[in-house]
Amino acid sequence: MKLFSLVAFVFVLALHALVASSASAKDIYFDSKWTLWQNADILIWTPDKEPAIDTKEFCLSLRRYNSGIGEPKCRLFGEWERDTVAMRYATWLSSNLEPGLEPHLLKARHPAMMAKFQALEDKIVLYIADKGSNLQIAIFDETASEPKAAGTVMKTNDKIALGDEIASAFFERHTKRRLTKEERLKMETEPDDLYKETPTFRSWAGISAGYAQARIPLTPYNWYKRKLRSRVSNYRATRDSVSLWNFMDDSTPLFTLYAGGIWFGFIGGEIFYRYSDHAVKTDDRDSVYEELDHWDFSQHEIGLNVMFARTYEPFKWLDLHLFAFLGFQYSFYSEDIELKSSKKKPSKEYETRFKTEDPYKGALFGFGTQCVFMQHYGLSVRTGISSRGKDVYVEPSPDAAAEPTTIGASTVDWFISVGLEYHWTPFK
Amino acid sequence: MARLWGTLIVMAALLFTGCADSYHWSSSHPAYTRAPYGELAVTGLQKAFVLTRTKWFANRLDFGDSTQIKATEFCAKAMEKEFHGGYTKLLVLPDSVLDNAPEESQKLDARIFMKGKLPEQGITVTAPDGSVPPQILLIHEVIIGTDLKRENFFDYALIHNELEDKREVKNISAIVSYTLWDNVKQRPLFSAVDEIQHPVAFKLTLTDLEQLMRQTVQQIRKNMYQGVK
Repeated sequence: MKLFSLVAFVFVLALHALVASSASAKDIYFDSKWTLWQNADILIWTPDKEPAIDTKEFCLSLRRYNSGIGEPKCRLFGEWERDTVAMRYATWLSSNLEPGLEPHLLKARHPAMMAKFQALEDKIVLYIADKGSNLQIAIFDETASEPKAAGTVMKTNDKIALGDEIASAFFERHTKRRLTKEERLKMETEPDDLYKETPTFRSWAGISAGYAQARIPLTPYNWYKRKLRSRVSNYRATRDSVSLWNFMDDSTPLFTLYAGGIWFGFIGGEIFYRYSDHAVKTDDRDSVYEELDHWDFSQHEIGLNVMFARTYEPFKWLDLHLFAFLGFQYSFYSEDIELKSSKKKPSKEYETRFKTEDPYKGALFGFGTQCVFMQHYGLSVRTGISSRGKDVYVEPSPDAAAEPTTIGASTVDWFISVGLEYHWTPFK
Repeated sequence: MARLWGTLIVMAALLFTGCADSYHWSSSHPAYTRAPYGELAVTGLQKAFVLTRTKWFANRLDFGDSTQIKATEFCAKAMEKEFHGGYTKLLVLPDSVLDNAPEESQKLDARIFMKGKLPEQGITVTAPDGSVPPQILLIHEVIIGTDLKRENFFDYALIHNELEDKREVKNISAIVSYTLWDNVKQRPLFSAVDEIQHPVAFKLTLTDLEQLMRQTVQQIRKNMYQGVK
């Protein structure tokens, strides 16, 4: 049953196509995107003694076939029919209008004729030439001295049917409202939509949320395996202490507050504060932690970026700034540790737990994009790699062996964040 | 990947070598389906000729005085004679048939424009005897000189370049721009700019100039055949 209905559907479709092709009495050579105005002024221009269609009936045909056309006005273009240059071009066009020709081969070459086209001012010229069995149709407007559309329709004695045929072949399209004199004048003096000067200085402030982890995408896992699997036993012991991720959980949400500015849309800077919270990776097998309620470190980072950007303006309402940044940061860790309420006195291990350094110094780099809508409201995406570390080398001293080891001499993570920004230009 | 590299190499090769040969020196109308055969009307044989380096020619050819006038007349005659040889019914129209036509430029390539008078749309050219030739070969300009290159005359980016001064002349050359005009429908069927070089062996004689004109006509005829769509 399903198959039958499909076959029937295809058959009906084919029948329609057949009927449409056999019944079509028109042949459109080309049709560019010319503008059809509401309440259009249509001037019928013909090299023949008598126009093949009736102007009043044609206006009614237009309204029948294009509901958006409003109230078109149609009249014979007597000015051009009495003009020698225009008539010469009309007869020339009649003998040259053939299928397969590009519009530029039908261009009017006489300077006086070109001037006539330019002076049309929103009026549409409908050229109709009688070729015996069919009518040649061409449409002109003020924007070019070549036809915007051309073709033929079959000639019949019924002028109403002929008007319908032409209206359906060439005038079934969206209409546009015509501009008033004042609007026209304004349009002419208005700057180009996409023309914009780059401001000398543009600044922004934003807030972003993101995610950070030790593993940099597209790098092998076994680079990080040791760090990620590492656990802290006895409040301080790990296999190695080079990275903070040996001690703390690396994958956490990341929040950033930032403000920046850029000169000439090219070189800029940004100051930022980043916050994330890292839990310590305590070894669950270790019974010493039974006393512990929670143990986290809050990571606070402040820093400065220098950035280089390039601006694209795909639309009037959207500026796209692609940038790369490079900066440095200071990282501070504030410890949040608490014992279970039942526990009165902490263990000895608790007292000698590991300590972070203050501050860690690091660098970060990355790239991103700012999409600025309506010149103010920005959506920013950025990704990069940041590091924090400590100078391991210190002057050798007699007490060196007794000093605690510096942990987190080299900690690297990858981050990605999405931010909401507000942009403004403080001075023009 | 190999394909990408191949494309890149081809593009690079085009970039480095392509400039000199990338011009299109002719253009055909889609309706140009048959080259003129046996019968042709030609105009422009009176005023189209220009001789450059007149002094060089004057020193070698024995025209006495007014070499410019006499040499161009000689070339025009030689060309007409050669056309007569090629077409049994050759109609030579005086240049005055185009007196009222506006001068227009036709685009052959992105940077190649040729200028010349074309009859108006809607006006057919009538021969002095009242007949209307169906096709007319309009010779716009014939530049005769030594070692000429057509891009120096027709590429608008190069026309202000000064030509290098060559001490030794290898060729005498002719650059001809022409349009085959459809007189019935008033449209250009075939337009082209040709460059013809004729080597000068020992001494320049009038035979060389005649030979140059003969080659020019042969080149025009050959191009008109090849330009058929």
